[in-house]
Amino acid sequence: MLTIDSAIRDDIAAVVERHGAERTSLIPILQDIKKEHREITDEAMQVVADLLDIHPVEVYSVATFYAFLHGAPEGRFVVRLCGTLACDFAGKTAVAEALRTALGIEFGATTDDGVFTLEWASCVGMCDQGPAMLVNDKVLTRVTPAKVAEIVAEYRAKGADETRQDIVTARNELTYAGIEPDAGLKAALALSRGDIVDTVSAAALKGRGGAGFPTGMKWNFCAAEKSAHKYIICNADEGEPGTFKDRVILRDFPDLVFEGMTIGGRAIGADMGIVYLRAEYAYLRAHLNEVIQRRRQAGLLGKNVGGIAGFDFDIVLARGAGAYVCGEETALIESLEGFRGEPRNRPPFPAVAGFLNHPTTVNNVETLASVACIFAKGTDWFKSFGTDKSTGYKLFSISGDCEKPGVYEFPWGITVADLLKEVGGAGAKAVQIGGASGVCVPAADFARRLAFEDIPTGGSVMVIGAQRDLLDVAENFLEFFVEESCGQCNPCRLGNPKLLEGVELLKQGTCSAEHLADLKALGATMQVAAKCGLGQTSPSAFLSIVGAFADDVTTRPQRA
Amino acid sequence: MSKILIVDDDPDIQEACRLVLEKEGFTVGCASNRAEGLRQVAEVKPDLLILDVMMEEPDDGLTMARELRRGGFTQPIIMLTSVNAAMGITIDRDDEMVPVEKFQSKPVEPATLVAQVNELLGL
Ligand SMILES: Cc1cc2nc3c(=O)[nH]c(=O)nc-3n(C[C@H](O)[C@H](O)[C@H](O)COP(=O)(O)O)c2cc1C
Repeated sequence: MLTIDSAIRDDIAAVVERHGAERTSLIPILQDIKKEHREITDEAMQVVADLLDIHPVEVYSVATFYAFLHGAPEGRFVVRLCGTLACDFAGKTAVAEALRTALGIEFGATTDDGVFTLEWASCVGMCDQGPAMLVNDKVLTRVTPAKVAEIVAEYRAKGADETRQDIVTARNELTYAGIEPDAGLKAALALSRGDIVDTVSAAALKGRGGAGFPTGMKWNFCAAEKSAHKYIICNADEGEPGTFKDRVILRDFPDLVFEGMTIGGRAIGADMGIVYLRAEYAYLRAHLNEVIQRRRQAGLLGKNVGGIAGFDFDIVLARGAGAYVCGEETALIESLEGFRGEPRNRPPFPAVAGFLNHPTTVNNVETLASVACIFAKGTDWFKSFGTDKSTGYKLFSISGDCEKPGVYEFPWGITVADLLKEVGGAGAKAVQIGGASGVCVPAADFARRLAFEDIPTGGSVMVIGAQRDLLDVAENFLEFFVEESCGQCNPCRLGNPKLLEGVELLKQGTCSAEHLADLKALGATMQVAAKCGLGQTSPSAFLSIVGAFADDVTTRPQRA
Repeated sequence: MSKILIVDDDPDIQEACRLVLEKEGFTVGCASNRAEGLRQVAEVKPDLLILDVMMEEPDDGLTMARELRRGGFTQPIIMLTSVNAAMGITIDRDDEMVPVEKFQSKPVEPATLVAQVNELLGL
């Protein structure tokens, strides 16, 4: 039995009281403890467990699941260097070396004076401005080895986080900018709930989060359910490496997102909307909360929204804790309920039994913003963009070896070649489409189209220049999946390390043809046997690279 | 005698329902998808509709029920569905969104179907 200092107990009791002694508050409670005490000790876990009336092992299992929560003591400033592909291309290795030297520690360690902790981050969503790193909640972009010493000295001298962020995202003209505020909401609230759903179906809007599920259909099933409570969740987890368009939408067009949530809430009959914002985007929180507050004051959230008697709907922000898998909708719901982000079995689908077992709709940020546009401008207008099967326009997160990385809007159906022309990506030998979980498309296929009927995608495009080694690309992604697998199912937990090992063998020129065939079969098995989308898509990049670039990747000279 | 239209993409269900209902003396027509169903409703003007949920699109029945009501169709609808098993959907439905008189999960006992039809037609 642990003996617990009464001061600690009182401190933690105050945190628990602030959030409420509910299981759903567990992660916010742990986040605050981590922030205030820089570690979550066994004693703290014990006290939290007592107050929430759950077993301490439950607290331990949650605290150790999330990258931003794990128990070990941290320095006052936690430096998290982004390790993902675009930041790798931009020179993360040299920055990592500079950080090691400047701080005198390895990754995973804390300086003796307790000021700095150095860690890797999976992807901080700054792929167009890499190498990027977080220092606590702040983002620093285009970091160079030369800047590292300066940054470290500044933090040491000031002792507080006064650094200004320097996020500058290149982009083209976005349709969102021309949409009249709340015109969509007003138009939608004049319709019956059924007509709202049918309008979204008529626009043939498909989910922008990657899977492309028809939004109207998702709403239709959720709306058909009868329940005392329903929820609409905005998935702002945006953890897919190479994806950062939701960050731009949330920063510049949050009203459109909240409009879309309110319209969806009305349609499905929800009383609450929840924005699940990834931990890496903590710097967006204050602004988003201000916008929510402004909307409450304007009568656009709260009781009788928009003057409709009985339509009570509010929106709250929830924050992630650093786990890619929590972008998967059922893992996200588990996380909101205060559990490890482990995907659920389906059925039941969230539309029937989601958050706290109530019917729940989960939509991507961009999907919700698009809903607002559809109601503002009409379904015919929306369908005038894109193709028959992929209506509308899409935001693409473009990074890697091109002159103008950034967030670009194009109608669905644009060819890879045309897209590359727009961003100065001439000479690319391949593009990775759909993030780490997407596919690697070789230059020979650049006439293919970005559309649900050809190459479906959540919009991430990583340009891979002629100078790159595709095995490095595969390695980077597989390292990511090994790190981010929740470990629940065998195909994903065991398969990804095996594929990663295979890439190392290919690099050393020691992967036999038989072994490569086995690895391909393993990948194919993972695609069908893994429990959730993470494990099912994690072999895609590997399989497409060893498929399209077989001549290159299987002919490496043998290294000792 | 009353006219009943069955809209279901499963020919076996169409056939089974038809046999049961014809035996009771009803005139029975069938359609296999939403578009054909809408056309036949306009043409045949059925006194009662038996409607499947998952057809070409998994939510076709839900959309079609609203489409019909919007167009002024006031006759009773029995929604016959296996969506429960496929989606884990519960029978308890939101009446505004699913404007039907009965929501019946498949498979349905012939006697139950006949009883429901008679009840809705006031027979
Ligand atoms: C491992 C994994 C991560 C995901 N991450 C995200 C994410 O960050 N954002 C997102 O919108 N969808 C993500 N998804 C897809 C969601 O499960 C879900 O399909 C999506 O939020 C639905 O919204 P939509 O229909 O509007 O696209 C992820 C799926 C998987 C399997």
